[in-house]
Amino acid sequence: MARSASTIASGGAAPRWRLADLLERERILGPVLVGPAVVLLLALVAYPFAVAIGYALSNRTLADPGEFVGLENFVYLFDNQIYLQTLRNTFVFTAGSVTIRVVLGVSLALLLNEVFPFRRLVRASVLLPWIVPTVLGTMAWLWMFNPNFSVINWALVHSGLMTQGLNWLTDPDLALFSVIVVNAWRGTPFFAITVLAALQAIPGELYDAAAIDGAGKLQRFRHITLPLILPVLLTALVLSIIWTFSDFGIVYGLTKGGPMNSTHVLATLSYQTGLAAGNIGEGAAISLTMLPALLVLIVWQLRRIRRSTVT
Amino acid sequence: MIRGLKKPAGRRALSRRRMLAVATAVGGAAPLAFPAIAQNSLRGTKLTILASNWYVPENNAQLDQLAAEVTKDTGMEVRVERLAGGELGTKVASVIATGRGGDLAVGVEFDTYLYASKLNDVTNLAGEIGGMYGGWYEVAKAACVVGNRWKSLCIGQAPAAWNYRVDQFAAAGYDKFPDSFDELLKAAKALHAKGTPIGMTLGHASGDGRSTNYPVLWAFGGKEFSEDGKTVTLDSPQTLKAVEWYAEIYKYFIPGTTAWLDPDNNQAFLAGKVSATVNVNTIYLASRAATDPARKAIADNMNHGLWPRGPAGRFANYNINVWLPFASSPNKEGQEHFLRAWYSRKFLPNWTKTGQSYFIPTFAGFEKEDVWPADPKLQIFRELNKINRLPGYSGPPTPAVAEAVSKYILVDMFAKACTGQMKPAQAVKWAAKEYEQIARKRRS
Repeated sequence: MARSASTIASGGAAPRWRLADLLERERILGPVLVGPAVVLLLALVAYPFAVAIGYALSNRTLADPGEFVGLENFVYLFDNQIYLQTLRNTFVFTAGSVTIRVVLGVSLALLLNEVFPFRRLVRASVLLPWIVPTVLGTMAWLWMFNPNFSVINWALVHSGLMTQGLNWLTDPDLALFSVIVVNAWRGTPFFAITVLAALQAIPGELYDAAAIDGAGKLQRFRHITLPLILPVLLTALVLSIIWTFSDFGIVYGLTKGGPMNSTHVLATLSYQTGLAAGNIGEGAAISLTMLPALLVLIVWQLRRIRRSTVT
Repeated sequence: MIRGLKKPAGRRALSRRRMLAVATAVGGAAPLAFPAIAQNSLRGTKLTILASNWYVPENNAQLDQLAAEVTKDTGMEVRVERLAGGELGTKVASVIATGRGGDLAVGVEFDTYLYASKLNDVTNLAGEIGGMYGGWYEVAKAACVVGNRWKSLCIGQAPAAWNYRVDQFAAAGYDKFPDSFDELLKAAKALHAKGTPIGMTLGHASGDGRSTNYPVLWAFGGKEFSEDGKTVTLDSPQTLKAVEWYAEIYKYFIPGTTAWLDPDNNQAFLAGKVSATVNVNTIYLASRAATDPARKAIADNMNHGLWPRGPAGRFANYNINVWLPFASSPNKEGQEHFLRAWYSRKFLPNWTKTGQSYFIPTFAGFEKEDVWPADPKLQIFRELNKINRLPGYSGPPTPAVAEAVSKYILVDMFAKACTGQMKPAQAVKWAAKEYEQIARKRRS
């Protein structure tokens, strides 16, 4: 500005454009504002993604850049029993965990929405499993499921409910159930608090009017609560599915995919193959096979958001 | 790159071999330590060593002290960067990929094969050092030599043995650890009947999962690959025998071993839940050093036993550590100088003795050295040093073997048969197919 002023004062020709004028133009201001976000997305999302695709189509190892092998890694995977078992596990793990999260999360939110003493303290406490670092929480569960010293088994036996404890992490089916429970334990608070926020946004007058009309608790939940929390519920559901589908820490901390690969999920197998075995190409290919399922969810969710924004 | 090291101006050229010969002739005192010839040329350079912590804390302090001494004597700044066990492998992979972050690292058994093209050739140094200590054991060559060139130097191995409760074995009628697989099976039955079962890891435990499976496979004559490391040979009558034996003895195990991770066998033994398990000597060392009388009593009541001898011999397996000299390092001379200091008579025997046989350098000549602990309960680790083998035996520890190990295929083969998920023959076929797929992929 000072330079412009001096130019004018000295009688020179006025500048043909100024920054402020340029920013007035939408065609320029738009890209300027969006630019940093685009650069970040390209650097942090698009580039690693493109690199991962490149790796998945190569036989790259940690020490060797390898060469292009086309779809060889994928052909190998779909002929490999451990991978197919892992794929099945991942779907069971996700479906089981998310179902528990939805049921417990909504129930917990409804309870927390009621008025009772120390409500705020209880609400804050409910978040603990989600706040505690995954590794720490998993270690506590590992101890509780420990084949030799399980405190859960101790309680079951000493309370007379069972004569001997359960093989939480030893039996293949029970081990998968155990990792599902821990994942649900960790994810439920997020679900509950999100739904609670939606519940608190529902105007009380709607319930008053329904009560006057003689609606019972179940009818009020079905016709008022559920429709109004549904958009938030669906968003939380989609996020939960995505997070669970790609979860690593809980399974790796509890079982490392064992016993006999019964708890392996795609993220742990990808780590085991890509980093532990040094087979980067195949590890990337395993990760990429998560994409189709997640892509369907993401596209559906984006379309839903777009529709709700338009309306 | 430090140049002119071998023939600095004003000095008589002194080859390493000549220096070694001279030093050995004068009584073997510190022949490789801190050669003055290197001091000037190394001044001002840096050497970053990547390491995790060994179990015996004094061994870690000795490494730090050696680094400080080399720094003082040469003017080369030697820095030891410590990482947690799991992180060290990732860091090594990162240095290999980027060429930055370290000059020398402590690696594990598969690293030399995985990264051979990114490691300096230390064949001459290996020859000199091997000559000093009566030659390297085969296991060291298997871990460090790729294509007839030494691409790493073996630090040592932590062999696993049977840890057993002398009192409980005596109560079951055994005054020493069984020396055949039949006897071990009978002992397991007797101990189970007495309410003091044994247990071996059958879970996805990166260390113990191997040490409890390979010795059985090898002792019955089973092998994953042929000697050239290329042909899968797992599906054999010998492997089937090993799996059948395992499935039988599993009936007398403490429940839960298919979920055991690395700490679980230690915990079970220390808590008195099992009368025997397979582990390195850390259970004993920890108990012996404990102040808690109950914990100390474990040390008094336990001993170590060798794996039984099978139809194909007696074997053991556990960790092996190697020095990885990164080719990306600008300080190759510094690497060599440090390695000479490490393997010097001034340092290595003392380091070994301090380690209480937890980590044992793989030199045949160490048999006669004063490096072994006096404690009679640690004597067998001397024997284990000779019979320890690497995954892939009798072939090399190739990347295909590394992949099979990291996928726990052998562990799961035994576990599937033990738990009845598959019949032994099916489990062997399943594992052999997994090995075939890995081998085919690695060949292509």
